[in-house]
Order: sequence, then structure tokens, then C-alpha cells
Amino acid sequence: MKLEIGNFYVNEIAFGDELSFKDGVLTINKEEALAMVKEDDRITEAELYIVKPGDEVRLCPVKEAIEPRVRLDGKGLFPGYTSPLRQSGNGVLHALKNCSVLVVGRHWGGFQDGLIDMSGPGQKHTYFGGLNNIVLVADTNEEFERYEQQKKNDALRRAGHKLAEFIGQCVKELTPEDTDVYETTPITKRSAEVNALPALVAVLQPQSQMEALGYNDLVYGWDMNKYLPTLMSPQEILDGALVSGSFMPCSSKWSTYDFQNYPILRALMDEDGKDYNFLGVIMANLNVAMDQKERAIQFIVQTATELGADFALVTEEGYGNPDADYVGAIAALETAGIKVVGVANECTGRDGASQPLVTLDEKIHAMVSTGNVSELIELPPMKVVLGELEALGRDGNSGGWEGDEVLGPSVRPDGSIIMEDNGLFCGDMTVGWSHKTMKDF
Amino acid sequence: MSKKAIIYVNQFFGQLGGEDTAGVGPSIHEGLIGPAMAYNAQLKDCDVTHTIICGDNYMGSNPEDAVAQILGFLENLEFDIFIAGPAFNAGRYGVACGTICKAVKDRFGVPVITSMNQENPGMEMFRKDIIIMKGGNIASKMRKDLAAVVKVANKMLAGEQVGPAAEEGYFPTGRRHQVFIEEDATTRFMRMLHARIAGEEFVSELIVPKLDRVPIAAPVKDLKQAKVALLTTGGIVPVDNPDRIQSASATRWGKYDITGMERLESGVFKTIHAGFDPAAANADPNVIMPIDVLRAMEKEGVFGSLHQYFYSTVGTGTTEKEASRMAKEILPLLQADNVDACIMVST
Amino acid sequence: MVKEIERAGIPIVHMCNIVPVSKTVGANRIVPTISIPYPLGDPATSREDQWKLRYHRVRVALEALATDVEEQTVFPV
Repeated sequence: MKLEIGNFYVNEIAFGDELSFKDGVLTINKEEALAMVKEDDRITEAELYIVKPGDEVRLCPVKEAIEPRVRLDGKGLFPGYTSPLRQSGNGVLHALKNCSVLVVGRHWGGFQDGLIDMSGPGQKHTYFGGLNNIVLVADTNEEFERYEQQKKNDALRRAGHKLAEFIGQCVKELTPEDTDVYETTPITKRSAEVNALPALVAVLQPQSQMEALGYNDLVYGWDMNKYLPTLMSPQEILDGALVSGSFMPCSSKWSTYDFQNYPILRALMDEDGKDYNFLGVIMANLNVAMDQKERAIQFIVQTATELGADFALVTEEGYGNPDADYVGAIAALETAGIKVVGVANECTGRDGASQPLVTLDEKIHAMVSTGNVSELIELPPMKVVLGELEALGRDGNSGGWEGDEVLGPSVRPDGSIIMEDNGLFCGDMTVGWSHKTMKDF
Repeated sequence: MSKKAIIYVNQFFGQLGGEDTAGVGPSIHEGLIGPAMAYNAQLKDCDVTHTIICGDNYMGSNPEDAVAQILGFLENLEFDIFIAGPAFNAGRYGVACGTICKAVKDRFGVPVITSMNQENPGMEMFRKDIIIMKGGNIASKMRKDLAAVVKVANKMLAGEQVGPAAEEGYFPTGRRHQVFIEEDATTRFMRMLHARIAGEEFVSELIVPKLDRVPIAAPVKDLKQAKVALLTTGGIVPVDNPDRIQSASATRWGKYDITGMERLESGVFKTIHAGFDPAAANADPNVIMPIDVLRAMEKEGVFGSLHQYFYSTVGTGTTEKEASRMAKEILPLLQADNVDACIMVST
Repeated sequence: MVKEIERAGIPIVHMCNIVPVSKTVGANRIVPTISIPYPLGDPATSREDQWKLRYHRVRVALEALATDVEEQTVFPV
């Protein structure tokens, strides 16, 4: 499989007459872009904004992030979701780098939505605080979930994906500044030298625990709640096969942008063939009932064993009861003689004194920890809020609250906030961007 | 204006004598005795105003009285930090330093700090309550241990955050928090992976802690006579949630009377748990709180009786400390009502 | 919670779906349930089937309370 991603580095985004990219400046015709967004008649209200690192802007409730791209063969970016099915992982893509499309609810948030600060002490808490962002702030007529704590956010998320595809068109005919090439040889066709290396698999556990459909991560448009672990190529993931869902406290989530750019997968591919032979990705999921968890773990271990893996990455998009899937997979792989390095966040409580994962096993030998979901974070007011800050306290956000005897409300009258790490948009970055670790105090 | 410190030492470092004076009770002295002099010289913008001395045996045999006396001395004094020791590997002294530091912290809320050796029994007893610097085993390490205490004490006095245990040199207090570091998770992951492949040493960022176990309670002798209480972390409450139990990170619990109820009716009870789809439990709360089948088995004589109340809270995001506090609040009620056994249903 | 009650000498049976979590928190008598949102009755099945399942598992739990165990025990259902 060979995937080429041509990079166009965005230094500045501006509104103008014509969608274009020139000398690092991405120009968007706002009216045209909004007209495209409003083609979905569920969208009742929409506006576009541009934010860059250093702006005194807070975004809340953020629902999704997508990197604008275009495929040179003219096919859609997210097969099975916003376009017909195609095989991901092959071909040539052009991507606008340092840049994302963010989708923000005009009024309403929920359990799964997050917050982004573009400057100040909150900036470092999300990856997107460091990017140039096109922000779609919109509302919909999805009355059935307006006051629900768990929202599908379907219209808004789809709007974001379509907007990213729309914007990506402007670099289709241009020559990229540089190109990343991700090429792999089928497992049984690799050289004797490579086959002699220790073999490695990456086990990814995307979020899929909502039994009702429409909330979970999608693989080629398929709801991963109704799914069993499958072998995939890392290129497929980088090329839109996975789409982020709308369930789980936000800091533990992987946005679609995260899937498109998955840093640990890219690092594993970069060094493939040196000290290890990277066999591919066992794309798993996260389950609710114990038998479902056990079944998925069985599939993971059997696939890894059959492939002849010696080492594995295991990482989960979640915490809490998903830890049973995560720790269960690690323990079962180690038992099968496959040595694991895990990547996950922890939940040690606001006081830091709780057990880090809800299930623990002495077979966890090597783990990278990327944050504490319940860490309390206090942030000063921001000049501009895009969306509605009240959503943090009002709508059941996993990191916010209406009132608290000791801490008061999450959203204070002066616009300053106090929240748990949980509510920061994809803040724990288990995909590999996290500059956080956990330390004993 | 400079800040004020008060130092606690035992009879030996308080220059009263050796083992023969270990039985003397607490006393407070204006000015500097023993290690207080070095503290006074090294603490930044802070004067040591008093030295408290207490015999190790006195503290060991009469801890309540000794603590009460010392807290009494401190009641009308102004001080910004309380320092005890260093206690090295002196067991009684270490326990005394831990005892008094914890009491002072609890009463006055000022920063406290001490130092002892890892073998000192006071370390394990108090490391979760106070900051205990890792100290040497014998008094000849005084200079080094005292300097280590001063370094962290100066941070406390300046109102700065005290860093992680390994970096600052104290015994971990059982708390884990996130910190920002230079390297990203990808770099750390790749390094750990390479180390595992090469069979080299590496340090996991999560070391699985030893799990706290409780002795297994004896079974009920006669189920047919037993009074059984039902508890849940699944957030089943009367529909108006009268105790305002939070739907995540709960700190509250409720006690609900089920006298005369054959089952929990939908519309009367519901779940407020935010961690799962509530539809099934709202339609039939008995799928979490099985009152209906318990009533049937009560009638059939399978067990003695179902306790008049059930207890409910929400398990998601709730810290162990809060859960344990809530359990300790519920426990005396169960005991007062002569409950013989419990069923806990979790979601 | 389970641990604090057991510490006081009151036998307690933990009915839960994710058994590894129960083992990690230190429950000594464990009876598995069928899921997280509906531990004791699958709404996709008939009322009668839900009742039977619930009756059975709660009965196992009651009997667990009267059973002497030497170590953490998951009672078969």
C-alpha cells in the first residue's frame, strides 16, 4: 500500500473573494462556504470564524476537528460517511497543514463536547490551541437531542467534514511544499531481512460503547459498536477510514484530525524495518458488556498471535470501564508472550489519590501516561467566546458542572472557568501529541 | 515582613539529654535550640521564633495529651510553617514528628514538613498525610537532610507549588497528578518500545500499585433469618432526586424507604447515572435494583427479610476517597438497623 | 464502598458486569450481571425472561452471602 500526502503549510487564514491557497495564505469565500454548509437543511444557523494561536478566544462546545484535504483522484475523504465507499490507504492526498476545521455548537453542548483556548494558560491543554483554525459555529433543528446530555451531533459533525473537503479542494492542482510517503509491502512479501526482525502490531481501541447507533466512531462509515477487531493498514487510518464519534468525556477522545494524523502510527511507520517489522494495525473497539470485551480481546490476541507478533502497542480512546478492555488486552497479549507498551490517560481523581485505571493487572509492565482526566483546571476569562460558554456548566459536559458546594459553578460571572481535564477538547492526546505525563506527588 | 517558623525536636536534639529524658513532656521555648539554629540560618525570609521539645517516650505513650499540649502552645502564636525533625531512622522520633505535623496541619492548615529515613516506621504511617523528605539513617546526615527540608520548606513559604516526589526528594503521598513535560508521548512511547525490543531497562510511567485487600467477612450463618440490605452505585433515586446526587463524580448518597413496595415503579424511581444509556433502567428500575425478585424470595422464605431502605449513589468518576467516606457514613446506619448482609449492584 | 462494608465484617456480594473491575476494587464475593446499563434484565427480552434472569442471579448472590470463601470468588451463574 502506498499513500502519499502532499503538505501545504498554512501560515494564515483569511476571508476573501475566492477559495485559494497562495504563499501560505488560505483564503476562504465565507458566503460560498456557508452556503455549502447550509445545504443540509438541518442547519438552522451558521457562521464562520478564523482563529490562530495567541488569539484571546475560547471555543466551547467543540464537537469535532478535521484536517482539510483533497484526494487527487477526486474521491471523497471519508468513505462510507460523507462519500461512497472506496478503499482507503492508497493514492495521493493534498493536505492543508497546521490547520483544522473546528465545529462548535452555537448554543448547545453535551457530555462529549470540549473546550479549546487559543492563548493563555489553557492553550497548551489542546493540540488545536496551537493550530490555525477555521471555526464553524452552528445550530441545528435536531430537537430530539437539544436537551440531551448525550448528543449525536450528526448534522454539525457532518457539516465539519464536508467543510474540510470543500476547503481542501483549493490545493488539488497545486504543488505541495513537501510530501510524506507511507508505503508498505504485504506481510508475506517482505524481505527475509525484514521478516527476521521482531514483529510488531499496533492495537487501537477506538470508542464504540454507546449501544444506540450514531454516537460511536465509524470505520468506513460502519458504527464500531457492531464490529469485531480486524487487521488494517496504518495508511487506511491516515486516509479517512476512521471518523471520530460523539461519545466519551472529551479529553479522552480522538478527533477525526487525530486519526488523519495519528503521530504514534506515523512514528511506527517511519522506523519500520530498522529494529522491528511493523505488521499493521489490529483495529479493535471498546465494549460495554463483559462478554463483548472478552470476545474482542480474544480476536485481538488471536490475530496478533497468528501474525507472529512479538511486540504490541495497545491504546484506548477512553477511560473508566474501557480500562477493562485496555488492561484486559494488555494482560492477554502479555500472557500470549507478546510484550506490550501501552498508551493511556489515567483517572486518579481531583485529589490524585484514586486508582489510576479502574482495572489493574500486574502484567502491565510498560505504559506511557498522558494525563489525569479529573485534574482540576482553572482558566482566566477570554475576550471572545465562540459558541456558548454556559454549555460547559449547563449541558452536562463531562468536565463541567452547574454548581459545586466548594468550587462554585464551572462558569463564573466574569468568564473565568474551573473545570476538570475531562472537558478539554481531545486534551489527553493519547494518539501521541501529549506533553503531559503522570507523576507521584 | 519576614515569615515565622516553629520547629519541633525530641529531647536529644532539644539538648535535654539522652534516653534518660525521653519521658519528659512537651515544652516550648522562645528562640533557637539544636537544629532550629540551622533552620533559622537557611530558611529564606523566615525567622524561627520557637522551638518545641518533647520526649519521644512521652509522645509515644501519651500522644493525645502531648498533641493537645503542643496545639495549646501554638494556639496564640503566628507561624507560617511547622517543621519537625529530621528524625533519621529513630523510630519513636519519626512517629512523633509525623504525629505532630499531621495534628498541626489539620488544626491550623499551615504547611508542615519533616524528614526521616525510609526504614523509619513513621514514614509509612504518615507519608499520605504530610510531606516527609527522604532522609539519611543516622544523625551524621543532619546537614544534608536539613538542607533538603529547607529547600522544600522555602518553596512552601514562597507559596510555590511543591513538585513531584521523585524530583523534590520526598516520599510519595499516594497522589498522582498530571504534569507538563518537554517530550511528547510519541517520543516516550518509541523509546519504551525500543527498550523493550532491545531488552534494555526502561521506566514505565505507570507502576501498578499493590492493591488494598480486606479480610473476607464470614458468611451469614442462616440465610433464612438474615436481614439483607440492597445498595447500588447505579444512581437509582426517586424521580425528583431529593438528595441531589450528582450524575458523575458523586459526593452524595441517598437512603430510600421501600416499605410496602413490591417493585420499583418506573416514573417513581429513575437513574441519574451519566455513564450509560439510562433508557432501560428508567423503564424498569428493577433491572438495577432487583426489589421485585427480592420481595418474591422474601415471601418464599429464601432469606429472612429485605431491609426497609436501599442506599444509592453514582459510581462514575467518584474518587475512592469519596466512595470510602460515603460507605463509612452508610455503615453505622446498617449496623444500627442490624443488617446482616448486603448486595451491592454496580453498573 | 464494598470494601468498607466488608471491612466492618458485614458480608457483601458485588453484582456487576465488569468482573475485572470488581476484582481490582477488592470485592470478595462477586456475581456477574449481564451488562452495565441493565445489569439484571435485558430490555430486548420478554418481561418473563427478565424476571427469570434476575431471580436466578439475585438468588446466586444471596447464596454467595451464606457461602464461606477463602479468596476472591466469582460465583457461576
